[in-house]
Amino acid sequence: MSASLADLQSMFQDRLLRADDAIDPHLANGGPFMKAYDHAYRARLIEILTEDFEGLHLLLGDEQFFKMLGEYVDAHPSTTRSVRWLGRYLPDWLKNSENWGKHPELASMAAFEWMLGLAFDAADARLVGVETMTRVPPEAWPMLTFTFHPSLHTATLDFDVSAFYRAAKAGVDPDGPPIPYDATVTWAAWRHPEDLIVMYRFMEKDEAMALDAAQKGITFDGICEIVAGHTDADEAAVRAAGLMKGWVDSGWLIGIDAEGMSW
Amino acid sequence: MTLQGFGLGLRPQHFPEILGDDPNAADGVDWFEIISENFIGVGGPPLHNMMAVRERFPMVMHGVSLSIGSTDPLDGNYLKGLKELADLVEPELISDHLCWTGVHGLNMHDLLPLPLTEESAEHVATRVMRVQDVLGRRFMLENTSTYVTFEEDEMTEWEFLSEICRRADCDILLDVNNIYVSGFNHGFSMEAYLDGVPTDRVKQIHLAGHEHNGDYIVDTHDEPVPDYVLDLYAKAVKRFGHVPTMIERDANIPPFAELVRELKGVRLIAERELDMVPA
Ligand SMILES: [Fe+2]
Repeated sequence: MSASLADLQSMFQDRLLRADDAIDPHLANGGPFMKAYDHAYRARLIEILTEDFEGLHLLLGDEQFFKMLGEYVDAHPSTTRSVRWLGRYLPDWLKNSENWGKHPELASMAAFEWMLGLAFDAADARLVGVETMTRVPPEAWPMLTFTFHPSLHTATLDFDVSAFYRAAKAGVDPDGPPIPYDATVTWAAWRHPEDLIVMYRFMEKDEAMALDAAQKGITFDGICEIVAGHTDADEAAVRAAGLMKGWVDSGWLIGIDAEGMSW
Repeated sequence: MTLQGFGLGLRPQHFPEILGDDPNAADGVDWFEIISENFIGVGGPPLHNMMAVRERFPMVMHGVSLSIGSTDPLDGNYLKGLKELADLVEPELISDHLCWTGVHGLNMHDLLPLPLTEESAEHVATRVMRVQDVLGRRFMLENTSTYVTFEEDEMTEWEFLSEICRRADCDILLDVNNIYVSGFNHGFSMEAYLDGVPTDRVKQIHLAGHEHNGDYIVDTHDEPVPDYVLDLYAKAVKRFGHVPTMIERDANIPPFAELVRELKGVRLIAERELDMVPA
């Protein structure tokens, strides 16, 4: 019997996703080369993910790495047009996986690598310069909100994976395994405005909280309050302003606004 | 201006050679083709380098995930991104594959085969018209390599392709390697395919290498174009005249100079065949 286009596509896709055989009677001559599609699906996705997670690959070794990626691909079939986004759920999936979650350095490494990837090819945007900050009148400061460059991304990690990652990237033996933190540490990655290379560093607790708040649209006033929880109340405004200047210098900020005004 | 001559697929590995100090590095390469998805919604080095190449060369855009044959709705966000990229790149031509890539919101990231039916033809033609409307440009459909056909099929692949392009008034990116691969896998006549495609719609030609497994061929783009595909290309040139032609290489990617050399061989074949075409 003849099937509709929609039904054939559903059956065909089920074959790729879970080896369902409903499509078989619809394949001419029994579809002797269907294996070409069967094989290509997982192989292609795993190949793409392998390019994005070199640190994770070195941490796990070939066998465990490809086993893990196979499970991930089954858990998160792609929903985007570009293969670029395939790995976006990997850090959380690793963290929450019964098996892989027992090794929290895996989720840290995945989050770190994904952050670097995002910084590398995020959309371009025009930066705010230091001179812009000097144009903002003092009375406007409390109400300022900030817009960040699309290349700025953060990751909150249980392990310091940076040295291990650099070794993996350079193809040399790492000095040792990733090092566990006492408390989580948030890293930032961004693209250097001129060289377009990816930069990264960890942030002190107050900076991480201030950045998180600023990214959520909290005003400078609110950011000072957050910073004040970590320092002298008197020094909070100075510390917050210092953080701002650092963000501008690094090329993180693309907009400074207050109640309808922009600088 | 209409696109002329011979091109290569632009691959990130080759940016240093193309944009490097040697001004003659890309001699013999008249234009480049980019994979649209690689530049939609991104910035940084990929976009920067691509646009640097664009400043020096004409470009064509080639997509892999429009999923024109899917029974899922057309993806408006994707089309918007594609249009924005086209407005930036100003490509001479823009194409995607006559296939589907997924249903129910999923993407298999593969060029999946369509049943060759009236239902499919009407479905695809309707959608191509919408795509051409949104983009404000003529669109090309490319024939893909396939590994299965369906019991439901009602026509040959060349009838299917030609009929869709007639109904939608769109053009054809003819992949000669894909004709070879599908012809070998399904046992149809490759020459009949060429003869079945309308000459006035073929605006670009793809050539590539593949993996021959004895009883079937997989379209891998990881080898130089084999001689028997070049022989079929010569027949295509005889039928279609000069059509902008390029080599696709997506895996096992050699140094840029090697592809430039391979492309020169393609140019020689076309020139030889064109001399034989009565003026
Ligand atoms: Fe092609």
